[in-house]
Amino acid sequence: MAVVLLPGLLATEAGGQKRLELDVATVGDALRALPVADLVLDERGEVRSLVHVYVDGERAHDLNRAVGEKTRIQIVAAIAGG
Amino acid sequence: MGVLLLTGTRKGLFLIRGDDERRSFEVEGPLLPGWSINHAVLDPRDGSIYACANNWVYGGTVQRSGDLGKTWERSEGLGLPEESELKLASTWHLEPGHPSEPGTLWLGGEPAVLFRSDDSGASWQVNQGVLEHATRDKWNPGAGGLITHSIALDADDPKRLWIGISAAGVFRTEDAGASWEPANAGTEACFFPEDRYPEVGQCVHKLLSHPGRPGRLWQQNHCGVYRSDDSGVSWERLDGNGLPSGFGFGLALDPSDPDRAFVIPEEGAENRVTCDGRIGIYATADAGASWNLIVAEEPAWAAVLREGMSFDDEAVYAGTQSGHVYALRHGEVGEAARHLPPILSVEAAALQ
Repeated sequence: MAVVLLPGLLATEAGGQKRLELDVATVGDALRALPVADLVLDERGEVRSLVHVYVDGERAHDLNRAVGEKTRIQIVAAIAGG
Repeated sequence: MGVLLLTGTRKGLFLIRGDDERRSFEVEGPLLPGWSINHAVLDPRDGSIYACANNWVYGGTVQRSGDLGKTWERSEGLGLPEESELKLASTWHLEPGHPSEPGTLWLGGEPAVLFRSDDSGASWQVNQGVLEHATRDKWNPGAGGLITHSIALDADDPKRLWIGISAAGVFRTEDAGASWEPANAGTEACFFPEDRYPEVGQCVHKLLSHPGRPGRLWQQNHCGVYRSDDSGVSWERLDGNGLPSGFGFGLALDPSDPDRAFVIPEEGAENRVTCDGRIGIYATADAGASWNLIVAEEPAWAAVLREGMSFDDEAVYAGTQSGHVYALRHGEVGEAARHLPPILSVEAAALQ
């Protein structure tokens, strides 16, 4: 079971859910299981370039990374835009 | 009948309701906060609102509301096939299909792609004819990107439509999108040093078809204002007939008179601001043979983007990047809204 934390706009798009508990094996599985998967991942299944994924406080690039019972996945919008 | 102006901004969608006389307006919004709305439209066939909602982090989407913006559903599965080696960057323009095809929608986006939906936006199919067009390697992005921003339907034939791509030009299909022919003969690509009248590569800024006269098209181009009376086979240039500049983005028509059109010229490609220190709407009543200035605001320095003008049976509307919306009716200009975020699009719909 992993906990996924969504920032404001994604939480709105997820029906108001800021925190989801997902029974998944990897970081990638968690992202693909989100109701906002299409906003986090592009049509190739790759994390969008300005979406940052943190696992237990560290920036994660490997979607195959295993997650455990208490893994905390936080999605952060990069500092960009205007 | 009143009007509903679906006004897309960099900071969400605003719904502006105007009365029968287009004198009194009420602003609702922002809806879809956090999203940049390149274009939004009300489908007259069922009353749904569709918005091309983009976010610089989360990409391009289509959002649909069946209750005038109270709740929204996001289209899923919007993307480009892997073999194209392209990814969808943003959504730009949504056009409800022909009245004889309920549920059909057309969607333009970046990089120069066109989608069709036959289930009211629940799913989308990319148009292979555009994606794999033989001239695609000659297309170049404009300042807004390589974008399909104009989708013009034929009033009679659902299989005939035109698209405008910056900077590739105008393309026409007679077979519902299976094949596309360039329709740029006589339109200039003034930014090319040598061949200024190529088959493709023109920078059309906005393309419209007249809803009452099949085959009559208008376009505001990077290099002039043009009209075609033969479905885009040939074009007549019109900005030399009294416009202060051939450069601009917005374009509006009069549904009851195919000879009337409206543009808002800008100084030029290197100085994209309305001409002569004012917001001037130039109107023609003789198919572009002459133009008359109607001052919306003076002094003023503004810009109206390619989706920033719209029209209905009663009036013409224009929204500026400085957040003002104007309504022009019977030669008089009124203000519909002020101090909105930068306006990307205005689309008028009948208010029931």
